[in-house]
Amino acid sequence: MPEIVSREARLSLLERMLLMRRFEEAVIHAAAKHKYIGRNHLYIGHEGTGAAVMAQLKPGDLAHTTHRNHGHIVGRGADPGRALAEIMGREGGLCGGRGGTWHMTDTSVGFQSTSAMVGGSIGLATGGGFACKQLGQGNVSVALFGDGVLDEGISYEAFNFASQYSLPILFMCENNEKPGRRETSMLAADRLLDIPKALKIHTMTVDGGDVEAVHAAVGEALARIRKDQVPVFIESQIEAWPGSHQHKPEFTTGETDISMAWDTGKITGPHADWIRQEPILRYVRKLLAEKAAAQADIEALDKKVQAKMAKARDFAEASPFPQAEGAILGAFA
Amino acid sequence: MPSEKMLTVKDAILEALFEEMARDDRVCIIGEDVGVAGGVFGQTKGLFEKFGEARVVDTPISEPAIFGMTVGAAMAGLRPVVEVMFGDFITLVMDQLVNQAAKIHYMSAGGYTVPLVLRTAVGVGGNLGPQHSQSFHAWVAHVPGLKVVMPQSPADAKGLMKAAIRDNNPVVFIEDRTTYNVKGPIPDGDVIVPLGKANVVREGRDVTIVAVSRMVQIATKAADILAGEGIAVEIVDPRCIVPLDRETILASVRKTSRALVLDAGHLDYGITGEIAAIISEQAFDYLDAPVARLAAPNVLIPCNTALEPLIVPNEQQIAQKIREMLNA
Repeated sequence: MPEIVSREARLSLLERMLLMRRFEEAVIHAAAKHKYIGRNHLYIGHEGTGAAVMAQLKPGDLAHTTHRNHGHIVGRGADPGRALAEIMGREGGLCGGRGGTWHMTDTSVGFQSTSAMVGGSIGLATGGGFACKQLGQGNVSVALFGDGVLDEGISYEAFNFASQYSLPILFMCENNEKPGRRETSMLAADRLLDIPKALKIHTMTVDGGDVEAVHAAVGEALARIRKDQVPVFIESQIEAWPGSHQHKPEFTTGETDISMAWDTGKITGPHADWIRQEPILRYVRKLLAEKAAAQADIEALDKKVQAKMAKARDFAEASPFPQAEGAILGAFA
Repeated sequence: MPSEKMLTVKDAILEALFEEMARDDRVCIIGEDVGVAGGVFGQTKGLFEKFGEARVVDTPISEPAIFGMTVGAAMAGLRPVVEVMFGDFITLVMDQLVNQAAKIHYMSAGGYTVPLVLRTAVGVGGNLGPQHSQSFHAWVAHVPGLKVVMPQSPADAKGLMKAAIRDNNPVVFIEDRTTYNVKGPIPDGDVIVPLGKANVVREGRDVTIVAVSRMVQIATKAADILAGEGIAVEIVDPRCIVPLDRETILASVRKTSRALVLDAGHLDYGITGEIAAIISEQAFDYLDAPVARLAAPNVLIPCNTALEPLIVPNEQQIAQKIREMLNA
């Protein structure tokens, strides 16, 4: 398995996760200040998966994702100021304020689509894989989706086609169903993996809270996809963020305090269990334990990310709303 | 006079596909039985042998994923022509067509385009019944972001297919099976018929018929009958219902002062109502009679050749309607 060994690579992975987290916190702040009409599909708690995938995509690779996409798009390298502006409906947004939280795209980083239709990303990403193969540039296509997508018939059809035609696609399932709560997907199969496996797709499962484990699995999958031109399905098991079902974004688990990684006495309240094992604090603890970084390094990294997000926020808030007349333009190319 | 080549509508479209695939490597054909079998009506015959399995792709019977896949492939740089075998099956791809294909360009503020052609065959006739005879052109025309083409002559069918493949938008290309074997001259060379440009198929001073696809041919028969009675019918074929060439329709109506709008699809909430409204709004002062319409009644299409003739307006009904309009 390709492992992350260099200190730089590990810190870079952490930085990507922190950017995703601080971005969502900026979204919550914006909603609280009525800077945009809040909606609730935040990426908090999923960072271990998104960062591991986005860190390993190459220029020219294609990504299609879902309604829970903010982390994916900033993790892929889209400008966080323009992404935040898009969510806030501003002219300076990635899509001129027309896509919003549900439909951000960024051609400059191959971020093809974010679909609010459950199952939307999976059909489109299969087409991305078909095009990658046809165009012969060695690129791959990635579909990111939740476990509920396996309920949609299109997922079965897409797996079948991708398998039969050996398309270079990473099917990345972020399974955040929580035992005891109502499950998102209602499959008669025992495991999500059973569905792609029945269609002869190589499957893997990984602990989504362990970013290096996800990184290793994704690295192995991408190597296989590029070399053999085949699809691979990964199920990343994620402990859902307790705030993810709110109507309006709120700091259910508080603003992230990175020092909780070493000062565990600070972790209290009804969501202490989630905080203790959430992917960012968990990774910081690992880096500290393995002496890959000191507390001061972590704090400096977080400050750097926060400074970047402060600039992004300033840009987004300063960006004007689009002119209403523009709404009628652009249905056709 | 140079001898022009004669082809059927079906073969004219096939010739367009051969030429466009040879011209542009990004063009590919995707659908059920389009490859080895050459299409259930022979409409893709020979493409597989010439261009191979990578570009002429037989798919499982999985319309939603296949159409979604086509949208993703178009966004990523290909120019696919995807076939939905019967027009009725467009219901199976509606989510991907309406919620993805039609919206990608707008949602991405022009960042992405979806240059694809969805071709499908429709038509009442041949005992195909209520699940294989419908035409949903009015449904798709109702969705902003989709172009809708409905050819009737071989030359138009070829030139419009070439234009549809080169267009940067999702284009729904609706072929009426009952026109497939209609023969006509095909001009030599790379002739494009632009999308959104109507054709005045027949000139006349007394009444304008607006019709697309099969209805143009039925209207022509009606015009021949009426010519014998001294009535000169003008027939305007918009060829595309989106974008619709309003100017050519209105110019004709301003000349003749009477308009009859035809459709092989259902009357209620269909394209005849839309076109009639445009004429009434923009040429009202020129009209000597209310705009008239003839289309399929809002009933199911029976699986019975003895009952099918009740569905699509015929030349006798059209001629009678025009006589009534002129005598009113």
